Amino acid sequence: MIQLFHVSKYYDRRPALSDVTLEIEKGEFVLLMGPSGAGKSTLLKLLIGAERPEEGQILVQGRSLSKLRPSEIPVLRRKVGVVLQDFRLLPKKTVFENVSLPLLVQGASTTEIRRKVAEALRAVGLDHKKDLFPPGLSTGEQQRICIARAIVNGPIMLLADEPTGNLDPDLTSEIIELFKSINARGTTIIVATHDPNVLAQVNRRVITLDHGKVVSSEQGAS
Amino acid sequence: MRRLLYLLREAVANVLTNRTTTLVAVATTAFTFACVGVFLLLYVNLKTMASSLEQDIQVMVYLQDDLTEQSRIEIEQQLKIDRAIASLTFVSKERALADFQAQFPSESRLLQGLGQNPLPASFVITLAAESRSSDAMRRWANRTQLIPGVSQVQYNQEWVEALAGIVRYIEVAAIIVGVILSAASVTIIANTIRLALYSRREEIEILGLIGASTTFIRVPYLLEGAALGLCGSALSLVILKGGFELFRHQIHSATRFLGVDALLTFFSFDMCLVLMLVGLFLGCAGSFLSLLRFGEGRA
Ligand SMILES: Nc1ncnc2c1ncn2[C@@H]1O[C@H](COP(=O)(O)OP(=O)(O)O)[C@@H](O)[C@H]1O
Ligand SMILES: [Mg+2]
Repeated sequence: MIQLFHVSKYYDRRPALSDVTLEIEKGEFVLLMGPSGAGKSTLLKLLIGAERPEEGQILVQGRSLSKLRPSEIPVLRRKVGVVLQDFRLLPKKTVFENVSLPLLVQGASTTEIRRKVAEALRAVGLDHKKDLFPPGLSTGEQQRICIARAIVNGPIMLLADEPTGNLDPDLTSEIIELFKSINARGTTIIVATHDPNVLAQVNRRVITLDHGKVVSSEQGAS
Repeated sequence: MRRLLYLLREAVANVLTNRTTTLVAVATTAFTFACVGVFLLLYVNLKTMASSLEQDIQVMVYLQDDLTEQSRIEIEQQLKIDRAIASLTFVSKERALADFQAQFPSESRLLQGLGQNPLPASFVITLAAESRSSDAMRRWANRTQLIPGVSQVQYNQEWVEALAGIVRYIEVAAIIVGVILSAASVTIIANTIRLALYSRREEIEILGLIGASTTFIRVPYLLEGAALGLCGSALSLVILKGGFELFRHQIHSATRFLGVDALLTFFSFDMCLVLMLVGLFLGCAGSFLSLLRFGEGRA
């Protein structure tokens, strides 16, 4: 589903990623670990076409991202759910409106929007909060709304960047459980994190980055 | 449908959140458009005046004294088939003398003293509308001068050319001022949109990440720019109309009996529509510029 061949990305001639080659299968749940500055966020940005690599090839579902025309990038992003580090909600829109945005931008019908938003909110257990505004929610709830927004489209993969960054351990395991249940329905999941709590709870494949290089890729027990 | 509604709502929200900047932008744009408008009005009015004056201009084609009746008829035939001529009247030597005596009774003795009638016969000609411009008139006069039997073609050349010159200057000035101030209003609108873009950059980034097309992201700002331009030009027309009526009132009091004020005209309804469309277009151009620059900053 995702293949990287000798991918390098430089910022001001300094490599954020260098010569990364890896493959992620459909349905996998992958943890992207590594210290701060290792290049985890950069890798996720490459996968959604927010940045372009200077060297190498990235294939998503067999399509080369470097061959995408600018008008095709939105099409790619509709297939990929993202929960980014600083990817916050729009404070002046209700939970319902926030979650419906990905459907709205591709011109879904009102009935479809209602049905899918309700489904996504139910999946994260917050359908009773749909008329509230984000500032009125706890951080854990806000993060779950972000996840609902990321899955409302039924994406083929879900990318999350430090999704538990500012959550306490209880909320962290809540979010991890949520990811597991989404993964159980067939969505490929990649979570970038340096949080050892996450590692402790997810016994899956772990790819470790350091200074922009893949230092290990280990399959978990299960 | 829902998408369209959303875009409209966003545009309105943009305007509401940046109320002060929006108002300032509309006011400044209106003022700039009004400055251009003053020149346009001047141009339109002088042009109308010029063409109404041209209408009154008559051209005299004087004939040689020793002309036979036969040659005079030939010249008349030739003039009658000339498409540049709207109407012509023949004034014989006798008629010219009678007219002169009626107009200047005190000088008529002077002519009698000469024994014979010194005034030439002539055709008094009104030119067709399309031949009344000073260039066309000059060309026509030079051509007619060459007809055998014609001694001289005379018209109030200086007056026609001076007027045409003034109209041309105003035209050039209106174009220059128009271009400069249009650029200024595009800049004003571009700045307003840039502020709106800046204040909502996070939202714009989010929209991009969830797969909104560039068009979807841009439309609200284009709508906002268009609305700013439209409001600005509409407001400028209101200002101009107010100023125009005030001016006309002043002229009316100053020249009560001359009826000069009746000659002044405001833009026609169609012209007003065109000006508002121009405003709308400039507004779009302004926001387009900002969007381009904003896009470059990100990509
Ligand atoms: N937009 C950017 N401009 C310049 N340098 C950047 C930018 N984004 C990331 N970097 C650099 O690239 C390296 C990798 O960053 P990042 O991918 O954010 O690491 P991580 O997410 O693993 O903490 C860091 O050294 C960081 O300073
Ligand atoms: Mg990071």
